[in-house]
Amino acid sequence: MKYLDLNNMFPKKKLECSEDEIFDIAIIGAGVVGCGIFKEFCENGAKTVLVEKANDILEGASKGNSAILHTGFDAPPESLELECVKRGYSEYLKIKKKLNLPLLNTKALVVAWSDEQVEKLDGILKKGLNNGVKELELLTDKQIFEKEPNLSKNAKAALLVHGESLIDPWNSPLAYVKLGLQAGGKLAFSHEVTDGHFNGEFWEIKTSQKIIKAKTVINAAGLYGDIVDSIKGSKDFKIIPRKGQFIIFDKTAYNLINSIILPVPTKITKGVVITKTAFGNILVGPTAEDQESRDDSVTKEETIKMLLKKAYELLPDLQKHNITATFAGLRPASDKNHYRVKINDEKNWITVGGIRSTGLTSSLGLAKYVYELNDRKYEKKKKKASVIKIQNISEFQTRDYQDSDYGKIVCHCECVTQREIENALKGEASAGTIGGLKRRTRITMGRCQGFNCQAEVSEICEKSQS
Amino acid sequence: MKKIQIAIVGAGPAGLSLAIELSNMGYSDVVVFEREDEAGGTPRHCGHLGFGIFEFYRLLSGPNYAKKLVEIALSKNITIKLKHTLINIEKNNLTFSTTDGLETYSAQKTILALGARETPRPSRFVSGTRSPNIITTGALQRFVYMQKCAPFKNAVIIGSEVVSFSAIMSAKHAGIKIKAIIEEDENLNTFNILKPISELFLKTPVKVGYKVLSINGEEKNIQSVTISKNGIEEIIECDGVIFSGKFTPESAILQENFKDFNHTNNSVFVSQIFQTTSKNFFAVGNVLRGALTAFKCYFEGKKLARFIDDSLKNTKLNPLHVKIQCDENIQWYSPSLVDLNYPSKTLTNLRINKKATGKIIVSLNDNDVYSKDINVSTYTNIKIPRLDYPISKNDNVKIRLES
Ligand SMILES: Cc1cc2nc3c(=O)[nH]c(=O)nc-3n(C[C@H](O)[C@H](O)[C@H](O)COP(=O)(O)OP(=O)(O)OC[C@H]3O[C@@H](n4cnc5c(N)ncnc54)[C@H](O)[C@@H]3O)c2cc1C
Ligand SMILES: Cc1cc2nc3c(=O)[nH]c(=O)nc-3n(C[C@H](O)[C@H](O)[C@H](O)COP(=O)(O)OP(=O)(O)OC[C@H]3O[C@@H](n4cnc5c(N)ncnc54)[C@H](O)[C@@H]3O)c2cc1C
Repeated sequence: MKYLDLNNMFPKKKLECSEDEIFDIAIIGAGVVGCGIFKEFCENGAKTVLVEKANDILEGASKGNSAILHTGFDAPPESLELECVKRGYSEYLKIKKKLNLPLLNTKALVVAWSDEQVEKLDGILKKGLNNGVKELELLTDKQIFEKEPNLSKNAKAALLVHGESLIDPWNSPLAYVKLGLQAGGKLAFSHEVTDGHFNGEFWEIKTSQKIIKAKTVINAAGLYGDIVDSIKGSKDFKIIPRKGQFIIFDKTAYNLINSIILPVPTKITKGVVITKTAFGNILVGPTAEDQESRDDSVTKEETIKMLLKKAYELLPDLQKHNITATFAGLRPASDKNHYRVKINDEKNWITVGGIRSTGLTSSLGLAKYVYELNDRKYEKKKKKASVIKIQNISEFQTRDYQDSDYGKIVCHCECVTQREIENALKGEASAGTIGGLKRRTRITMGRCQGFNCQAEVSEICEKSQS
Repeated sequence: MKKIQIAIVGAGPAGLSLAIELSNMGYSDVVVFEREDEAGGTPRHCGHLGFGIFEFYRLLSGPNYAKKLVEIALSKNITIKLKHTLINIEKNNLTFSTTDGLETYSAQKTILALGARETPRPSRFVSGTRSPNIITTGALQRFVYMQKCAPFKNAVIIGSEVVSFSAIMSAKHAGIKIKAIIEEDENLNTFNILKPISELFLKTPVKVGYKVLSINGEEKNIQSVTISKNGIEEIIECDGVIFSGKFTPESAILQENFKDFNHTNNSVFVSQIFQTTSKNFFAVGNVLRGALTAFKCYFEGKKLARFIDDSLKNTKLNPLHVKIQCDENIQWYSPSLVDLNYPSKTLTNLRINKKATGKIIVSLNDNDVYSKDINVSTYTNIKIPRLDYPISKNDNVKIRLES
């Protein structure tokens, strides 16, 4: 019988450009940070190429996160991180409607579970106000239970953060890439950067496919940021990957909470976040475990069981619901507690590294910051009217299965239609990995994890390539 | 909104046999709704033999069995609406996602025959890498019998239910070598005879008492699994892992729409006439409690027809439900309600899925009224007879296992 290699169903993507084409900008890394920067430079007229070793976007740190659009209320004061988080937040609000990107303003409750934690709430409130986040409110236990009747009765007090929201962590960066492409940008996927040489005028970047020439390089290589950075000749920081394991509960649990439930950070306990997701689940996690490996995102039975215990303590009714998935993400944390953004003017090299735990929110803000840092003018082309509309797969907006003429529903747990899958396999920014297809559509990510549709989806992928 | 008399959701053995029987009884306003583009249910992808003996007195493969059921239904002019996915239930109204847009039907009686699925890896907590090559038996069967391809070359099967052994057959059919069947319990979760059969005739080692410690691999490619027994670890090389069994009802839509949900069975409460706590809703087949064989679901469906007939004719008859509750040692039980209007020789049937010695005790309003000694080494179905005591509407019936 025919053998189907599920990990290699998509042919490697190629970069179509002539040998002596010199780009204005080469961005290394198509994580959420690289995608945001790509959009910004392309829209400003720079001839930009997004170079990525994987065959799709979001295969590194950006593939697994909590998907919260942060206000910055707890970000380090006066930091670049705070600036970019706030700017990224407002940029997202500006573009989301046009692109059909979802946002659910659930608000967040920073819940104190002990007297020690109650004492800390005031400080968190002050910090938030200082950070320019105005809509904050202290709540009594009674007020908490009015909002969150299912929360454990051990909750003592809370800080309500109005602005905290949920987004689709995968289709938003995809939208940034599509905007960049529309403005003339190019993608070089399956191009692993191995070395580079700067001749005083432009960089010759060696990759696993071809040499790419660009006047300026932007290193947004996330978990490999420090390694890629050494190409410029000096090493300014070290990445220390920090794993976060998660549990995703069945959609049946969706209505157990209304807000994002955040822990009060203390020295001893890290606590867990409980939140809804854009896709209608409940997410519990993440842990924070420093590790050596930059790709090892395995989940551990003991850790997951520990998370589960914690989740049941805080939200007892979760015990009545099934677990849909477990996964882990790796934060590209560094040896210092802040973003590592730096320009090297002699070398035309910009480092955007160590974007550890707020990159999803900050990416559009960071992109603007980096563009300003680069301080060069490009010839802006006339803007075409945007025709880009993102397929909505979040449960906050109308889904394709609620429409007609979609072919059939292929993935029943997530109600993914044939049309959604076919669209995700089309165009320049089409899915290049099975994970990429999942992130665009959510196929096989539901409660049956492919019992029903994995085989059929694999066949659709295979056929789409021939 | 379209009005119909009887809506059956799910065109598997249970739903189809019910539709056929209702048609035999003269009902014509019956519509079967099915989310797939083909009717027949789970047997459609069970390419092995093992179906039809009791229903059709012939040994059939799953797909032929499904075909036969569908043929009979169509020969009786039963309407089967394909590509209709039930997405919401409100009062008597059923909303379906269809390619013509959302459609709502209002039915006098609705029967939910949604079937079951296996429990995939995440909720079994097995450590290790994530990979598309970690699948369930159901997915394997679809790869092999429907898409006609093999997603890996060497695999291990985790679990030891009947379906785990049928996974060997599917794998063999596709040329996949099964390195071992791995069971965490000390005993198989099915007939013990399957171990020697599997080892002798299928050359597949059956390792009982082994825990899977981790699935190892690089990136998304699986290289091996680490298993352990009594602290001794063993590594089995493979490029695929099949999680088999631990069936769970396809009941999320019921959990979302029924106030009263039975967390032991992971399904709605139903009485011996398959009626739920909502008078016009019935549930039948594997959606009630996970896996029984197809013929059991078929005969359940057939039996239900009479009760649907009854409830349509006796509109004045209101159910008198007494709820049965079980402790966590019981994997599932069926029925989970007693309807006092209907005499019955059994109180319920229950399954214990582990080694157990002790007593099954039934209490009525906290007084023990029945006990049965048990000494079982593996999964067992136990019949609890009707209680010798009269029960009335607000009574409290509980079943527990004391070891
Ligand atoms: C558990 C967890 C929870 C989080 N929750 C949130 C949240 O709720 N809200 C929020 O705003 N943020 C959150 N984050 C943070 C956010 O996910 C990260 O900040 C962000 O993903 C970092 O993106 P990046 O683009 O810098 O890195 P990456 O996503 O790692 O991107 C780098 C890319 O570079 C590529 N690359 C590496 N080396 C090379 C090379 N040599 N050649 C070519 N390409 C290369 C990689 O393949 C990769 O695609 C969370 C993170 C984690 C892990
Ligand atoms: C891997 C595997 C191997 C098996 N091997 C055997 C065997 O060898 N012998 C044997 O006797 N039995 C076997 N079985 C069990 C047998 O398949 C079941 O007992 C039987 O199919 C149950 O019938 P059912 O009608 O209850 O459910 P199903 O056959 O599962 O049918 C349920 C139907 O409902 C539909 N449905 C579900 N939700 C919705 C919705 N929201 N809207 C519309 N439609 C919906 C489904 O698409 C499905 O078609 C096996 C099962 C599996 C998974």
